[in-house]
Amino acid sequence: MFKREMKVNLKNFIVWLSILIGLFLVVFLIYPSIINSENMHMIDEMMEMFPKELLTAFNMDITAIDSAYGWLKSEGFVFVLLITGCYSAILGSNILLKEESDKTIEYLNSLPITRNKIISNKVSSGLVYIFLMTIGLGIFNYIGLSISGNFDKLQYILLSITPIFSSITIYFICMFISTFTHKTKKMLGISLGIVFISYVFQTLSTMSSSVEFLKYFSVFTLADIRNVIVDISINPLMVIISFFISILFLILTIIHYNKKELI
Amino acid sequence: MEKNILEIKNLTKYYGKILGVKDLSLTLNDGEIFGFIGPNGAGKSTTIRCIMNLINKTEGTVLLNGKELDKDEVSLKELIGYLPSEIHLYEDLTVKQILNYHESFYKKSIHKRRRELVKRLKLDESKKIEDLSLGNLKKLGIVLAFAHEPKLLILDEPTSGLDPIMQQVFYELLREEKDKGTTIFYSTHILSEISKICDRVGIIKEGELLKVEKVEEMQKKNLNFVMIESEEIDKIIKDLNLDVALKRNNTIRFKNNLSSDKLIKSLAKYKIDKVLIEEATLEDIFLHYYK
Repeated sequence: MFKREMKVNLKNFIVWLSILIGLFLVVFLIYPSIINSENMHMIDEMMEMFPKELLTAFNMDITAIDSAYGWLKSEGFVFVLLITGCYSAILGSNILLKEESDKTIEYLNSLPITRNKIISNKVSSGLVYIFLMTIGLGIFNYIGLSISGNFDKLQYILLSITPIFSSITIYFICMFISTFTHKTKKMLGISLGIVFISYVFQTLSTMSSSVEFLKYFSVFTLADIRNVIVDISINPLMVIISFFISILFLILTIIHYNKKELI
Repeated sequence: MEKNILEIKNLTKYYGKILGVKDLSLTLNDGEIFGFIGPNGAGKSTTIRCIMNLINKTEGTVLLNGKELDKDEVSLKELIGYLPSEIHLYEDLTVKQILNYHESFYKKSIHKRRRELVKRLKLDESKKIEDLSLGNLKKLGIVLAFAHEPKLLILDEPTSGLDPIMQQVFYELLREEKDKGTTIFYSTHILSEISKICDRVGIIKEGELLKVEKVEEMQKKNLNFVMIESEEIDKIIKDLNLDVALKRNNTIRFKNNLSSDKLIKSLAKYKIDKVLIEEATLEDIFLHYYK
């Protein structure tokens, strides 16, 4: 069953990974021609005009965009977080629900397999793809950056790992919510909504101290990119929180899926 | 003493406030073919879905081999072969791939039986599931339900979509399974199927099990209707003391209480323009049991 799940989700994985790789490929190809001494002067002037809060939101206050790696640390990882977040949200929403939506659950349920086994096979296949997405993109960008010039390798590796924490948490939250419905269509809006609202909360929380509390309602807080850029380390607290939230939603999924009416 | 493979006790299912099945109790003996008959929406599929744990029971229990049939009891699930009324399978797979996938879930080898069934049902293993006709999809469903030689077969409208030749092959398969001792729960709305293959029949209407009866006994009641067109129609009604359900000009329809042989001999005395002996419809049967 695990093999089948891997096969079913392969096409989507390739599409999403291609989107990310395509985006970064374009950056690696055009960035050297954009960034030259003349343009840099203009960019510096433009950056000075931006409010400090906006620069903070894109990590531009702690990193310079004078190289492809600089761009990656600021805007680049925002795209990585958002796109891997969307991918994980859709994957989490569909992985159990697809059988119900396609009505194949009646067949699957008739087989000598427990609901817990169904969950474990599907969950692990989804997790493998989230890891593969992170690793695949990480390797591609590593090669791209190596060709583009020098960069801090340890910092880069840690930065590449951080999206896993937000992605896996989103994956489990969306999976749990999906156990309350039977149609994948209904879940699409909800799952993408979670990702974007979460991102907006996280961005707003970095812009003003009066709304800093919003970071507690955002899964992207778990992918603490600023901490990696500044301290070159992953905040262990975020790893622990991410782990516990994921486990909590997995347990809730198991409990609710076992009680769920499948048609 | 007869052993019960399936026992349904006081099964009740409500969908919110809407009744699906009410207080249904039923026992299936080892090796029998039990017909479960009722019109659309009567509660047949709800009962089956409760047995299969696809939906939650509001009340009641389902016992298989004396053990409560639970979602997570793999050893009990292995005893069941299930053919749903509408078959939905993974459309990206070929017939061969789904059969291989199906085999992978069973500890014992079911390959030999699968090959036999595929051959008998003339199923093309190279075809993609999305390209299968309704009939071929049904045949595939039959292979999937029968391949692991279950002790209990739960069949929901199994012949819908099958052509008459395949229906005969299917009935043969059922008889063979019965001979092997397999118990069959056969849900249908086609009365003739019940009389052809079943040992007992349960009649369900509006979520309630009206009656459980041996098919032999049901047949003894000779539930059929006769339509006659004759110029001597009034004389026929009077002479034979018929229970007329419908009369229009020289045509009548009446519930027949005689054997076909006696009926024909009785009618032979009159000039008959047209005669039609009809099997009682489901509605007729229900009216009969309501009375």
